Amino acid sequence: MKCVSDLPVEVLVGGRLSEIEAKPMQPYSYEAVAFLAELSQGLLANPAIRTYPDLVGFAYWCRKANLQRLARDWKSQRQRIGRGIAFHIAPGNVPVNFAFSLGIGLLAGNANIVRVSGKRHPQTSLICAEIDRIAKQLGHERVASMIRVILYPHDDAITAALSESCHARILWGGDTTIAHLRTLPVSPRCVDVVFADRYSLCVMDASAVLAAEKEAVEALAAGFYNDVFVLDQNACSSPYLVLWRGDAAEVDRAMLRFWGAVEHLLLSKPPSPVMHGLDKYAHLCRISVLLDSCVSVTRHQNLIYRVRLRELSSGIEHYKGRYGFFFEAVVKSVESLKTIVGERYQTVTCFGVDPEEIISLVVNMGWTGIDRVVPVGKALDIGVVWDGYNLIETLSRTVADC
Amino acid sequence: MQKGNPMTNREKYAAAFQTTLMVEEAKLSNLKYQDVSTWDSVGHMALIAALEATFGIELHIDDIIDFSSYAAGQAILAKYSIRMED
Repeated sequence: MKCVSDLPVEVLVGGRLSEIEAKPMQPYSYEAVAFLAELSQGLLANPAIRTYPDLVGFAYWCRKANLQRLARDWKSQRQRIGRGIAFHIAPGNVPVNFAFSLGIGLLAGNANIVRVSGKRHPQTSLICAEIDRIAKQLGHERVASMIRVILYPHDDAITAALSESCHARILWGGDTTIAHLRTLPVSPRCVDVVFADRYSLCVMDASAVLAAEKEAVEALAAGFYNDVFVLDQNACSSPYLVLWRGDAAEVDRAMLRFWGAVEHLLLSKPPSPVMHGLDKYAHLCRISVLLDSCVSVTRHQNLIYRVRLRELSSGIEHYKGRYGFFFEAVVKSVESLKTIVGERYQTVTCFGVDPEEIISLVVNMGWTGIDRVVPVGKALDIGVVWDGYNLIETLSRTVADC
Repeated sequence: MQKGNPMTNREKYAAAFQTTLMVEEAKLSNLKYQDVSTWDSVGHMALIAALEATFGIELHIDDIIDFSSYAAGQAILAKYSIRMED
């Protein structure tokens, strides 16, 4: 195990890399919870963050009441302690993931070196400025000494040096990045938590959509908007496919109602870049050549493209679109998912379908994919359990007495 | 607020709305979710976080969803033993 050395990186938060406090703490330490709760309050008090729903979502997640609830659910697993230093490589597509990753690393009891994406999202600056402010406050020195947020261009020498000095790596960023990062040497005991490319879908019950009050359909559309459009459908947990349960006639009516509400909502938002419309159109041309199972396409201005599939066929996820591009299919029961679900499937968002029904299918039928079933609107809510990992457990160790 | 004169629950409740949703006091009593652009799903998160911090409580998820107006919120807080003075 090598000590962390000072490397040619830009340090956005914290002092020198070599001075990071590597001594772990117990999960959900009073200090870590207090630091994150202060971060939540500080962010929410800043009106500038309101334009970033993802940032408000992060601040909402790390509010004191929620962290206390998580700590209670964790119960007193007193014999656990953080692993030491966690090295995070945050993704470029989801701006606030670095903050969730850092927050979870702290809650698990670790020191954290977080490499953020070079895209310099405004959310990153807002969060870093707030962490910096809190770090200077009396009483937060211990946690502050466990945080470094850094930036450097892709550089294997730096990544390798950090990999050899850490006890856990949290790697976001898809298959290619992960395959590459795994070729670099790490310390022998290092644990890797990897977030590979995943795909997600939405299941709706047609009769539930038809039976819902007008306000409920508007709320459903708003939830769907947050799941998809806030991050341009780029997040792993944003649905690329909408599956409708019901008979054909019912589904047609439910689709009209639902997509009408989504279109109405999109029209009330600032216009999306022209390139997003072009991307969808080009993608449609591509799949109409490559995919036999397409039966029809419905377009809602340039905002939403919907491609109806004759049936669900395995591998359909490889044709995933962005910026509001969806596949749709009608099924009699959610069990039909078995034809497409493999280990690549992550989140199912649902409306009018009992999450328990889907979870039972996964567990009882031995499916290799789907590790999260949540209501529509919750797709992007990252938590301490993500991608099938209980991150607090994975990022800490047990001290056994037997 | 004067020194030595702590805010009442009613004042704290109103202040949470005013600071997070930027709504004038006069408009509060009839205010409902989505009446103003600031009380959307994002503003709702800020409001809930502020109320939890102000009163030192953890609102249950069902109560967070049901928290649909200034008046309804007062009834919800009563369940957490936060009562508004007459």
